[in-house]
Amino acid sequence: MDFQARTTPDAIEARLSGRLEFTDHDRLRDLLDLLNGPGARRFVADLSGLDFIDSAGLGMLLILHEECESRGIALVVRGPRNEVRRSIDLARIGEVLTIEY
Amino acid sequence: MAPPLAGSRVLIVDAEESSRVMLAGLVVRAGVDAIAFAGDGEEGLRKVLRFRPDLVLLDVRMPRMDGLEMCRRLRRDLGEATLPVLFQTPADGDADPAHCFEAGGSDVIAKPIRPGECIARVRHHLEKRALFEELSSFRRRVEAELTQARTLQLSLVPERRHLEAAGARYGLAIESHFETSSELGGDLWTLRPLDDTRIAVMIADFTGHGVTAALNTVRLHTLIDRIPLDAGDPAGWMMALNAALKATLPVGQFATAFLGIIDVAAGTLTGVGAGSPNPALWLPDGSVRLLESSGLLLGVSRKASYVSRTVALPPGAALFLYSDALIECGGPAGIGQQAVPLLVGAAMAGAPGRPLHHVLDRVFGGRPRPLADDLTAVWITRL
Repeated sequence: MDFQARTTPDAIEARLSGRLEFTDHDRLRDLLDLLNGPGARRFVADLSGLDFIDSAGLGMLLILHEECESRGIALVVRGPRNEVRRSIDLARIGEVLTIEY
Repeated sequence: MAPPLAGSRVLIVDAEESSRVMLAGLVVRAGVDAIAFAGDGEEGLRKVLRFRPDLVLLDVRMPRMDGLEMCRRLRRDLGEATLPVLFQTPADGDADPAHCFEAGGSDVIAKPIRPGECIARVRHHLEKRALFEELSSFRRRVEAELTQARTLQLSLVPERRHLEAAGARYGLAIESHFETSSELGGDLWTLRPLDDTRIAVMIADFTGHGVTAALNTVRLHTLIDRIPLDAGDPAGWMMALNAALKATLPVGQFATAFLGIIDVAAGTLTGVGAGSPNPALWLPDGSVRLLESSGLLLGVSRKASYVSRTVALPPGAALFLYSDALIECGGPAGIGQQAVPLLVGAAMAGAPGRPLHHVLDRVFGGRPRPLADDLTAVWITRL
């Protein structure tokens, strides 16, 4: 998985691409580092460029959610497509975090 | 950090008495006190067997058997692949250091021996060997523990005789496959007879694989034993299981699962999904459908609720449960969920006696092992 981050006055936006899977745990740490920037109220994880997510990848979204919550940041998972959307829907993680389709 | 060398043993093989004494002095100064001597290659080989050195300090030119030949035999005949052999090469340049390495030597020092260099090299090779031994013994211990843990894990999934007994009791043919991607895996499946006409089957897959995931399967197995399964309310049972898992699992660790209750009197299957891949249902008219299995992953949220759905499971019908490795690890990029109904149809048409075997052969036949993820699959046919 690769991501590009962009910061706006009140939000951090990370555009993920490629495959989010078991081997990406180190990349997760890089994503979490973004949360330590000053003043962000919202974190947008844009999945529209993501091609695949496995259960470990879903776990990373849940960890991201937890880390955001502990810092008072609202996480929005945006735009999952195709296989990624199917996996997210199957696991019903929309019951736990906010997903914008 | 250098390990202490006090327990190390050095064999000095040299034809000259004076050289042996001089070398022994240096070896003692390197911190080693267990030293043995030999005057030629033949004696040297015997001493290797008897004295079990950690390093051999070997001269090249000796009567009867020279150092090069001794080293070759040490490696070839005695199977001492890792014992460090430190050659002393003659000052006249007669023996090329390359020959020493070709014969299996680990290192060479040129004569005349410079004490500081000799001591440093002896220490270096002994320390390397001590670290290697330490790692090897650690590895052996971990391997032994993993083997035991693997046996324990295998004991969590139903054995063939359980499948046969349950099959006979409920009129089912049950085939199963359980394969981990390393010594230990994060999958679990289980069968639970509920009463004379109902039996539950459950498949679960924890995030990741290896030791952590395997420990989680043990946790889950214990919880399944502890929380009584009420056949009338499988969704409520899943909620109780979820709450218990949530209380113990760290964030980011969870399981996908599917629970099915087969009622042979009513001819139904009642399923509760928690994000596992869609099970496939084959009906005697030849149709195949994927069953709904969405549901929040187990262990993510205390508030998760689950839904049970009942479908017809008449005699002759078959239920196919599998972990995501089936659809993600087959072929170069995974075969995908949509391929499953076709595989199921082909298996029932081509090998109704061993449909699971047929499916796995089609998907994984010739694939290199181990797979990237744990693979569990269960096929239940009503007779």
